[in-house]
Amino acid sequence: MNPDQEKIEQFMYREARLLDKQMFEPWLDLFSEDAIYWVPAGHDDIDPREHVSVIYDDKEAMTRRVKRLRSGYAYAQEPASRVHRLVSNVEIGQLSADGQELEVSTMMLLVELSRHRQLVHSARCEFKLQPNGEDWKIKRKKINLLCNNEPLESTPFLL
Amino acid sequence: MDVGSLVRRDAVHRDIYTDPKIFDLEMERIFNTTWVYLAHASEITQEGDYKTTMLGRHPVIVSRLSDGSITALINRCRHRGPTLCQHDTGNSKFFRCPYHAWTYDNSGKLIGVPLPQGYGSDFKKEDYGLAKVPRVAIYQDFIFGSMSLEGPSLEDHLGGVKRYLDAYCAVSPTGKIDVFKGMQKCAYNGNWKYQLENGVDPYHVGALHQSSVTPEAMKIYRQGRGNVIAMDGHGVTDHTDWGPMPVDAGLSGGFNLVIFPNLIVLRSQIRTIRPIAADRTEIYTNVVKLQGIDEEINIRRMRDQEFEFGAAGTFYTDDIEIFERTQHGLKSEAVDWIVFARGLEREEMRNGYMAGAMSDETQHRGMYQRWKELMTCEPAQMIAAE
Repeated sequence: MNPDQEKIEQFMYREARLLDKQMFEPWLDLFSEDAIYWVPAGHDDIDPREHVSVIYDDKEAMTRRVKRLRSGYAYAQEPASRVHRLVSNVEIGQLSADGQELEVSTMMLLVELSRHRQLVHSARCEFKLQPNGEDWKIKRKKINLLCNNEPLESTPFLL
Repeated sequence: MDVGSLVRRDAVHRDIYTDPKIFDLEMERIFNTTWVYLAHASEITQEGDYKTTMLGRHPVIVSRLSDGSITALINRCRHRGPTLCQHDTGNSKFFRCPYHAWTYDNSGKLIGVPLPQGYGSDFKKEDYGLAKVPRVAIYQDFIFGSMSLEGPSLEDHLGGVKRYLDAYCAVSPTGKIDVFKGMQKCAYNGNWKYQLENGVDPYHVGALHQSSVTPEAMKIYRQGRGNVIAMDGHGVTDHTDWGPMPVDAGLSGGFNLVIFPNLIVLRSQIRTIRPIAADRTEIYTNVVKLQGIDEEINIRRMRDQEFEFGAAGTFYTDDIEIFERTQHGLKSEAVDWIVFARGLEREEMRNGYMAGAMSDETQHRGMYQRWKELMTCEPAQMIAAE
């Protein structure tokens, strides 16, 4: 399957929309079973086995994170943050030789409203996608926050 | 201002969390006098390694010198005052201020001044070394500094908590712990003392953390015969009745320590409190790596820490939420007192320390007595320069 700019962009917008609309279960379904959801701490290029991250979830941890948000007792999201994501600068890399992995990078501007306070989070996101029929699965979503070496405000929602 | 009257046996006044004048006094009488945690020795293992941090309001560079000793310098050029070092960690034997190129070695000695003759013949570089944190002391690789030239030794300050720090390190087969690279850094709009209370507060776990805590772990808090302990001004929750500090750092047995005023040691974390203002606090956390155990166990410990703590942690975001709600609630003058009365009727002296049942507030009362002692005491003389 040839990576098509418009299709990839639509996929990225869909991922963002599912999170903005708190459709966490279909969002989880976008990820492969061996997926990693990663927010580095300190700087973008760390070794997650040597250096602490903000988030380093496998699919099981992502699922637990969603379960908590759905539990009715996640007080940090009571009421839930309202979020708007702008996704742009979608750049598509080369499909790997075996056709199983495509790197895509995007810029994300996430505006969050919680506790009557509006915050802006900026990030470059690096995805690894895997073909899934006519569609794609996310093998890795890496979120390089601009502020990843600053003291972060509480981030209880999904990035 | 009668600061002492703000702490009662069973309650504290809301002013201690909201009044900027109290905050200023805390910086002067607590953070400028007592022992403040600065760094872990495993962060600066090589000659020339340094870490920058804050000691109250003082920006500090903690360095390992060529003889292996550790020094803590005030990160402020003696000439016009800019901070010298801008990085969290690094390796350098010299620090140079870019403004006028005054240059110091990492022991703080001024070694270079351009055009020194302009200061006249009396000018001596020895008079303009970097200011030092007057006392630096280490216990079990935990490095502390005190801005006071005199006062209790670090070991006296730690008191009974030393035994717990020993037990914390003894989980490692070598008896020594390291930390992973990097820190989890968080900030919240609330007073620093909420974090101090919350680090040793088993009462809240079953309520606030209902979405995150497992039923097995809840048994420790609801059925355990552990203690909360007021230990030499520090707070301890001891649930070793359920088992010793576990190698996997899970919620089974072990203990939580809050070492007054800025250090929390629990599970796989060394958490440091940085007070910024009465209503603003930063939290910097190192993740502990046990020496001499399987790498995968250490990685698992770090993954659990990331899932539960830090700015996106499943436990910690609920804690921060409460800190911010509390700061909001305490703006009301309709109610002045915050209640710390749990267990007053049933606490008792055990092994020389006042101890309460698992959900009690004995440990909080102990920390506020220490707060009151320091806040009502004229500060010891601070050293001005080298």
